[in-house]
Amino acid sequence: MDDTLSRRAQRTIAYGFLFFILISMATPFVWMISNTFKEQSQIFERQPTLIPEEPHLRNYVSLFVDFDFHKHFLNSAFIAVVHTFSHLFLASLAGFAFAKYNFPLKNFLFLVLLGSMMVPLYTIFIPLFVLVIRLGLVNSYAGVIIPGVAAAFGIFFMKQSMEAVPGELLDSARIDGASEFRIYWQIALPLVRPALAVLAVLAFMGSWNDFVWPLVVLRSRELQTLPVVMAGMVSLYRMEYGVVMAASLLSTLPILLLFLALQKQFVQGLTVGAVKS
Amino acid sequence: MSSASIVEDRGLRAWWSRSERKVVPYVFISPFYLLFIVFSVGPLVYALYLSLHRWPGSGPMRHVGLGNYTYLASDPVFLKSLWNTVYYAVGAFLFILPLALVLALLINSTLIRIKSLFRIGYFLPILTSTVAATIMFLLIFNNEFGLINQGLASLGIPALKWLDEELVKISVLAVVTWRYTGINVLYFLTGLQSIPPELYEAAQVDGAGTWAQFRYITLPQLRPIALFVGVVTMIGSFQLFAEPMLLANGGPNDASLTIANYLYRMGFTNAKLGYGSAIGWVLALIIFGLSFIQLYLFGAFRKED
Repeated sequence: MDDTLSRRAQRTIAYGFLFFILISMATPFVWMISNTFKEQSQIFERQPTLIPEEPHLRNYVSLFVDFDFHKHFLNSAFIAVVHTFSHLFLASLAGFAFAKYNFPLKNFLFLVLLGSMMVPLYTIFIPLFVLVIRLGLVNSYAGVIIPGVAAAFGIFFMKQSMEAVPGELLDSARIDGASEFRIYWQIALPLVRPALAVLAVLAFMGSWNDFVWPLVVLRSRELQTLPVVMAGMVSLYRMEYGVVMAASLLSTLPILLLFLALQKQFVQGLTVGAVKS
Repeated sequence: MSSASIVEDRGLRAWWSRSERKVVPYVFISPFYLLFIVFSVGPLVYALYLSLHRWPGSGPMRHVGLGNYTYLASDPVFLKSLWNTVYYAVGAFLFILPLALVLALLINSTLIRIKSLFRIGYFLPILTSTVAATIMFLLIFNNEFGLINQGLASLGIPALKWLDEELVKISVLAVVTWRYTGINVLYFLTGLQSIPPELYEAAQVDGAGTWAQFRYITLPQLRPIALFVGVVTMIGSFQLFAEPMLLANGGPNDASLTIANYLYRMGFTNAKLGYGSAIGWVLALIIFGLSFIQLYLFGAFRKED
């Protein structure tokens, strides 16, 4: 009897702690949403009110009218989509080669690939920027996308799943006279679709949320992505809190929706490094 | 088409059908290596070269030897940014990792039934961009009307200046904790779930209590995941950028400035590309050094025994 009671107490404490942390984590998010419906003067009020007295949509209107939110949203979407598809293609192609062929220097080249993940972004930041200027890619989407499009992690990840593609399938296609690229494209690629989905989610989110590199490459405002524009709104002398919060909320929505649709792929993608270690 | 080119074409074809399988893997992997050489190795070497020069981004470069590095060692702002960054890294190890481990242990325990609510709930913050996440916290930490100070006021406690010199680093750490705790919970959960249940069953047969099981089974079995989480946390902490920049613009009085913020300020705002590159190389050496130490401490280099 005593034992069950103490177990009940333990359970209460455990749930209490977990819910406390959950509510603490939800608070900034809920508070942000609430403030998108408030007037600047209401935000500055000393008495916090969760549900605004006279909720209005002026912040959202201002976001589209004064800050061209839709244009920057499309910029972000364009870069993220192009990045995702190019990355999937290059990563799966190289992953296929590492998984399904034997060739001289393969192990050495793979070690180089793993080593490339160790290079810290900020160390190459300044020369990379100089290079992008010299190549005439500054202030262009190509300058944002190309340097990071073949990231090693994706190749490493695709190699793992390409290894499960049965070699006999590839050989029988060879006997039928298919080219090696066709074997990759028509046989291997469809078989690793689940892994592609996981990588797609990771790549899209990484690109959508990327801040520092687009910040330095995209000089003119029309080209800038959401995080860059939002950061600019913060450093304005007189900041419109409600508008900035609305931007922050709307910029997060696509990823949230994607997450709700593809929960499994997200969780798998973000923990894959840990599992493989 | 002339007959000669047909012959040549046949020769090429024959050669291709003989060697396609030898050549093709190199073709398939070449985009990565080309991009890696152009956009990583090249800049890495060029950064080293730049770091030995004084250069405002145009005009002639002046060779200064190790001058940038010796200047760094006595630059009070750089030393401050180094100290701040170490503060964030230590804070991440002291706040985020223990909290994430406790949460993972609770979620994994038999006490808790609705596991996915917490797993998913804690995970959501990582989906936000660092920019959106930091922006949210502007409403929490504002010195005048921030939620925390309003809460304190309603309890009759005087407001604290969360974005002033004394507290700003704590506020940055709070944003970082908010965003990264959940993903570490997931990492630890993956580790916990990969522990073979037979180990616990055997220990129970031998009469081991909860604490003994935790100490002698859970902790040692979590070693590989702890190493991974440790290295990722360290590398991430040393590259913090957006949070201090947006929360307090690196200030006040450089109190929240990180190494990455200072590098950006030198390289892009002040056009001191040589000096900025030197900061970048120092950062790389710190990260390599600390990764090596962590791998060594966790025995990753030890032979399997």
